[in-house]
Amino acid sequence: MLKSLYVDGHTFLHRASAGAKMAALALCGIALYFTHSTIILASATVLAGTIYLRVGLDLREAYARLKPVLFTIGILALVNWWVLGFGIAAMQLLRIIAIVLLAAAITATTRIAEFMALIEWLLGPLDRRGLVRASDISLALGLVLRFVPDIFAHYEGLKDAHVARGIPFRPARAIGPMIILVLKDADSIAEAIDARGIRGL
Amino acid sequence: MTTKDLVLIALFAAIVVMLGLLPPITLAFIPVPITAQSMGVMLAGCIIGAKRGALAYALFVVLVAAGLPVLAGGHGGLSVLMGPTAGYIFGWIPGTYVAGLVAERMVREGQPEARQYIGFFLASVIGGIGVVYGIGIPWLCAVTGTPFGAALYGNLAFIPGDLVKAVIATLAARAVLAGYPMLHSRA
Repeated sequence: MLKSLYVDGHTFLHRASAGAKMAALALCGIALYFTHSTIILASATVLAGTIYLRVGLDLREAYARLKPVLFTIGILALVNWWVLGFGIAAMQLLRIIAIVLLAAAITATTRIAEFMALIEWLLGPLDRRGLVRASDISLALGLVLRFVPDIFAHYEGLKDAHVARGIPFRPARAIGPMIILVLKDADSIAEAIDARGIRGL
Repeated sequence: MTTKDLVLIALFAAIVVMLGLLPPITLAFIPVPITAQSMGVMLAGCIIGAKRGALAYALFVVLVAAGLPVLAGGHGGLSVLMGPTAGYIFGWIPGTYVAGLVAERMVREGQPEARQYIGFFLASVIGGIGVVYGIGIPWLCAVTGTPFGAALYGNLAFIPGDLVKAVIATLAARAVLAGYPMLHSRA
């Protein structure tokens, strides 16, 4: 039901550590923000596009992943052209497309487990002070992936119950009952986690 | 944080994922289709409270960043979080927190029904619309350089849909408060 956006491959981005990639993305974002040369921005966009297209996605999938973001960027570029003029609008457009392409390339080359390990490492200092439990994040992520299909089943069950009674089904009115059904499971799930000692003591 | 809080946070994040899988509703009098996912901000705040609600959304944003296609329409990944609309997505976290704070303060069990409806509706509007736009619009302007006025004007198209969501969230939150109250249990 939920398939990660990671694609298998052997590029240098696949080999690089998640932390290095995130740091690079942040640095590139800051650098591009302060760049006002159209030539540098255009080169960065071409470079980021080349990197993105070489991570192992076919062209159609590569486009489909970015379609909604590119659509929003396109609309805003038209607004900018109209309000601020062509030069500034083009510069902003190149800047944001470059960073979005690079971000998409990093998402396509970073496994969820690597990303979660990075998050846990970043939360390490807070963990040592007893403010959070870094390992809870991965547990929570696993729970979400586990329970999305169950929640969908609750929803379908409510739909069937309406149909069986000849009542028209309105999604908006099913949300309250659906949430009650889902939250009622919380006690037994929590007990199951504690019974297995998954969170330690 | 107890294990039950952790489970509630994860379950609500899963509900937000599920809301993104529902087909968008189109209403004749509103120019843009309504997606249910941003309604989760109002629901989470009003149902599991400020702290757990905000953590549920923080977890959801981690799912997006990790590269899971959990946003409405099956999208996700860092490109969305680096794009012009990232501020709305990050804004969901404090938006939920504020919605939760307002709901916790204004709504009590045993109050007249009308007061509960008013409390949940105000919480939904302040947290789910006010705070989310208050972060999303300036963020969008900073990322794309679009003037604030133009961005604000463009956002007006979404307000009617958001008010419909606030009404739906109010009804759902009140139903949960009557059937299985969680709002004031300890986080």
